[in-house]
Amino acid sequence: MAFEALFQPIKIGNQTIRNRVVSTAHAEVYATDGGMTTDRYVKYYEEKAKGGCGLCICGGSSVVSIDSPQAWWSSVNLSTDRIIPHFQNLADAVHKHGGKIMIQITHMGRRSRWDGFNWSTLLSPSGIREPVHRSTCKTIEEEEIWRIVGDFAQAARRAKEGGLDGVELSAVHQHLIDQFWSPRVNKRTDEWGGSFENRMRFGMEVLKAVRAEVGDDFVVGMRITGDEFHPDGLTHDDMKKIAAYYDATGMVDFFGVVGSGCDTHNTLANVIPNMSYPPEPFLHLAAGIKEVVSVPVIHAQNIKDPNQAQRILEGGYVDLVGMTRAHIADPHFIAKIKMGEVDQIKQCVGANYCIDRQYQGLDVLCIQNAATSREYMGVPHIIEKSEGPKRKVVVVGGGPGGMEAARVSAERGHDVTLFEAAEQLGGQITLAAKAPQRDQIAGITRWYQLELARLGVDQRLGTRADEATIVDLRPDIVILATGGQPFLSQVPEWGYAESRDESLVVSTWDILSGAVEPGKNVLIYDTICEFAGVSAADYLADKGAKVEIVTDDIKPGAAVGGTTFPTYYRSLYEKEVIMTSDLALHKVYREGDSLVAVLENEYTGAQEERVVDQVVVENGVRPDESLYYALKGQSRNKGQIDIEALYAIQPQPCLSESGEGYLLFRLGDCTAPRNTHAAIYDALRLCKDF
Amino acid sequence: MLDTLLPILFFSALALAAIGAVRRVRLWRQGRPSPVPLMRGLAAMPRRYLVDLHHVVARDKRMSNTHVATAGGFVLAALLAIVVHGFGLDSAVLAWALLAATTCMFVGSLFVAKRRRNPPPRLSKGPWMRLPKSLIAFSLGVFLVTLPTAGILPEDAGSWVLALVLTGVVAWGLGELFFGMTWGGPMKHAFAGALHLAFHRRPERFSDKQGGEGRSTGLKALRLEDPKAKLGVEKPADFTWNQLLGFDACVQCGRCEAMCPAFAAGQPLNPKKLIQDMVVGMAGGSDARYAGSPYPGKPVGEHAGEPHGPIVARQGTALVDAETLWSCTTCRACVEECPMMIEHVDAIVDMRRFLTLEHGNTPNKGAEVLDNLIATDNPGGFDPGSRMHWAADLNLPLMADKRDAEVLLWLGDGVFDMRNQRTLRALVSVLRAAQVDFAVLGNEERDSGDVARRLGDEATFQTLAKRNIATLGQYRFARIVTCDPHSFHVLKNEYGELGGNYEVFHHSTYLNDLLENGKLSLKAWKGGLVTYHDPCYLGRYNGEYEAPRSVLKALGIEVEEMARSGYRSRCCGGGGGAPITDIPGKQRIPDMRMNDVRETGAELVAVGCPQCTAMLEGVVAPRAEIKDIAELVADALVIDATAEQGTSQDEATGKARRTAEEMTP
Repeated sequence: MAFEALFQPIKIGNQTIRNRVVSTAHAEVYATDGGMTTDRYVKYYEEKAKGGCGLCICGGSSVVSIDSPQAWWSSVNLSTDRIIPHFQNLADAVHKHGGKIMIQITHMGRRSRWDGFNWSTLLSPSGIREPVHRSTCKTIEEEEIWRIVGDFAQAARRAKEGGLDGVELSAVHQHLIDQFWSPRVNKRTDEWGGSFENRMRFGMEVLKAVRAEVGDDFVVGMRITGDEFHPDGLTHDDMKKIAAYYDATGMVDFFGVVGSGCDTHNTLANVIPNMSYPPEPFLHLAAGIKEVVSVPVIHAQNIKDPNQAQRILEGGYVDLVGMTRAHIADPHFIAKIKMGEVDQIKQCVGANYCIDRQYQGLDVLCIQNAATSREYMGVPHIIEKSEGPKRKVVVVGGGPGGMEAARVSAERGHDVTLFEAAEQLGGQITLAAKAPQRDQIAGITRWYQLELARLGVDQRLGTRADEATIVDLRPDIVILATGGQPFLSQVPEWGYAESRDESLVVSTWDILSGAVEPGKNVLIYDTICEFAGVSAADYLADKGAKVEIVTDDIKPGAAVGGTTFPTYYRSLYEKEVIMTSDLALHKVYREGDSLVAVLENEYTGAQEERVVDQVVVENGVRPDESLYYALKGQSRNKGQIDIEALYAIQPQPCLSESGEGYLLFRLGDCTAPRNTHAAIYDALRLCKDF
Repeated sequence: MLDTLLPILFFSALALAAIGAVRRVRLWRQGRPSPVPLMRGLAAMPRRYLVDLHHVVARDKRMSNTHVATAGGFVLAALLAIVVHGFGLDSAVLAWALLAATTCMFVGSLFVAKRRRNPPPRLSKGPWMRLPKSLIAFSLGVFLVTLPTAGILPEDAGSWVLALVLTGVVAWGLGELFFGMTWGGPMKHAFAGALHLAFHRRPERFSDKQGGEGRSTGLKALRLEDPKAKLGVEKPADFTWNQLLGFDACVQCGRCEAMCPAFAAGQPLNPKKLIQDMVVGMAGGSDARYAGSPYPGKPVGEHAGEPHGPIVARQGTALVDAETLWSCTTCRACVEECPMMIEHVDAIVDMRRFLTLEHGNTPNKGAEVLDNLIATDNPGGFDPGSRMHWAADLNLPLMADKRDAEVLLWLGDGVFDMRNQRTLRALVSVLRAAQVDFAVLGNEERDSGDVARRLGDEATFQTLAKRNIATLGQYRFARIVTCDPHSFHVLKNEYGELGGNYEVFHHSTYLNDLLENGKLSLKAWKGGLVTYHDPCYLGRYNGEYEAPRSVLKALGIEVEEMARSGYRSRCCGGGGGAPITDIPGKQRIPDMRMNDVRETGAELVAVGCPQCTAMLEGVVAPRAEIKDIAELVADALVIDATAEQGTSQDEATGKARRTAEEMTP
């Protein structure tokens, strides 16, 4: 049997888990009403259970005490009995489909923000500031320690009473338990610090209190780091000693192991490895812990593929694989394996859109799956075939919005033709994948290619559709997803011209696509600060150019998320790319064989010049509206989307009206530049009712 | 002159026939003993002929009438002619009766002749081409020589020349019909066939006077106790004498050939040729005179055998090549079609038994599968402790805990197959919805032994069967239900000989009962056109054609039948270990079956067998979707919101993923 190792049930404590695949604890940012697991939360996990996931550990960083703020990340609040009925809903929804559900519980200590809600005074063993959240804290007192120990026990009781199958004590990511463990932040000289036993004491008291409260018939696990990767932090050997120490109590039912500490931006990026990392980069750390403990070990971190998971489990490195982002991208991951539809799995590409939103306190969303966590709104993962009339749907543009529109329309059973001017699908994803360490983003396109072929979409690649071509097809619905072009004409002084020979500046697209040869001495002006600018810088430096990336914003790549900018920075610094902020590109002029870029300080107005041989400007996308206006007049709906229906996930009213002519909709950057998720979401919610 | 010549002719023909009969009987008696009640068999023979055999022959109305006229006319004519012309009884009444009989036979013979003018490829040629002429000669000749006896012509009508000509014609007819009958001519089928019916090795396959439908499809157990006994059939003489007699009954009509899936796929098997090879073997000689379709890819004339020589050579060629025997899917289409009631599958398995048990020569994956069965109790070699992994989230009640249940749900080795796990999960959800009191054996269940037995490994079959019987014996249950027709057949029909007697239901039968008793409420079918594929081990082996159709009807599905369905259903190619021995042909059997499906225009083919599901799903797209009956019922279940939870099969089927969504409150 294929994937046999994945489908071996395993006992964790008193629970039998139906397979070896776990959705590990992550902060979802969905708990509303003061940290309750409400409708959206329940449906999100129900979908995973329905899709066959063995164990869901929900609620990353769910708090046990009111002085560990939950509201910043809408995390689950276990400090009140009010949570119990909500847990019952959650447990029922998952159990109904044969899944198991546990929750991570924690006190985050210093790892939070104090400047809001209850204006809590944060706590930590020695009052040392936490850099990632810029959070200061007090030194915890003994009375507070015992209060929090009691809070842990009460939180565990609430989880048990709510019908959940277990709790995971978070002793990872620099929460309070591992703040006590780590000599990096625990400088105490009393019985709670110093020696190994003293540093272990807080976690041990928590474990004892929790176990005493819930008894033996409830799973209690611990999530720990495998190595903090800080010279003054916990090493792998320390962690083996710690794991063995707690394991010896017999009170721990499983260990979850995460590679890397995370109280700096750079280590944080390790924790949720993005697409620049190799597969399972920290498996060896989890395997090391497995050597010294007697209970099952779970490991997540860049395990995305069923074959990879099978290989890891077969090798016996760990007992269960965490495939959390894999399930955010496709909650039906297991079902598709079982259906023999491995090729239909929407595989996580490591774009980290999910986690990078979470770090901003925004709800976790998938860059490529707009249905994830919107189950409660009625956004479907599985598109049902329409029972209405079969329509001729023409989609123009094979970027993410166009591909999703074509896929969803074809799943509805319509006759779909997709035009793409380029020789391949992907749109801007194709460009994004050209940068070093960013090639995996093309996985988004790969999935669509497979799906569109499976669904029999008529793909006209290398074909630029014009008005006549489209009208000749006698479409019922026309969807424009034609994207746009780099917006280089906004500032005339930049010297942009349509003719490449005359233009003084080129775009990041010109560079990444290879249309323009990389210069030797290049200035990149990036006022957008998202991926394109740093990608172009990395690309050029990789080709041997001397590169300076300049922005008028606070830093280059400022809008790239928290787990992604560090990997860009590693690469850019290593290649000696100069990163300069607070300067706007005022003007470019030619001087002999060289170009002179005049930069103006945002705050003083002072100008300085750079003499280079290439100026690359990243100023975002200007929508391509020409085709839209050519088609708008003849369309029945004048190109308008009923936004009330769209936002309510309801069918467009014009679909049920009859009349002459086609319906016209536009999606994605050809309306206004947004992002991949926006284009896919609009396409899904618009087309799901065709 | 005729008065003198005819008795001589008749009695010498009869005498020669008697000598031939003795010689023929001696050929059969080379076989191993097989105790059958001789007198009771002879007494039952007319009924077996007129009812059971005729039931098969009558599927072709035209041929049936032709045969009734010809054979009936002949039997009557022969008896009367012996009396009238042999003994010279001068009775006008008898003579008139003889005229009527020969007329009847003559008319029949004309139809025989007509069919032989442009015969279908399944018919053997050679001596069979002269048979209609011989029939005409006999009937016409006897008619003419009877005219004077009946007083229609004067006694001395015609000259002595005419008398001589007539005598010649009659002699020709007698030669074919009396002498040829026992000396190996085409008419041998009548002589051997009648005795075969009387002494058939499976008397229970014939219907009884009370109207009970006869059926006997389980393989007979090999006696393994005698250490010196040869296991299986190595040489023609190793068959039982009545098996040899059965081979001799073959009329070479080729109905088996026309139905054989392996033959159609271009694999080196033709059931008719196989039986003829056995006939050649029992007498000794080569197959050069065989005048029908050869084994695909194997020219006639290269094989020879003798009664005490090996059928399959270890090296080179003998009577039959091993790959011929391993091409059979044991689908029983040949047996079902055979008007002479020959048991091809028994013979093939007998010969396989020798190859596997005495030579250890099971081709391709055969040896590996048998090793797996011996080591792990399942053909895939999976950890026997992982039998219940598929149901880790279903909390299935175990017999070991319950001891007593209404239904013992026999899971089969489909537990190790992700596709069949979906069927099993669907079945579990249906049983739960109907609140059936059921339990499973869990890890105590073992492979039923079906594949081992069809691959000739009787020893492994018996070991598995005995262990299963011992396990089943520990528990109380009213009946066994299974979604695997192979387990169903073995448990129902083959465990009895080893001491395991149970009431066994295929799930389609059981689901039909549940539906008829109002235990399930179903949503109306909204899908497209559906056809149904009869699994061989459910249909031909066990006669269950109706229950699956009835379930589909209850779902609101009107089945669009394939041209070959019911007892003529074409095998999926998955039986008898054929996918394991994997003998190459020109095309794949499941591809042909999917073409049958395609001809109906169905979007979905309903099945009731894990093996059929696997074989048909192995056909490349575009093709119809394949769903088990249990899945279709599960998809259509209207679940009471208060019903027991934890029954979801959503990780199971694509459709069920949707169903589960609908079930979400």
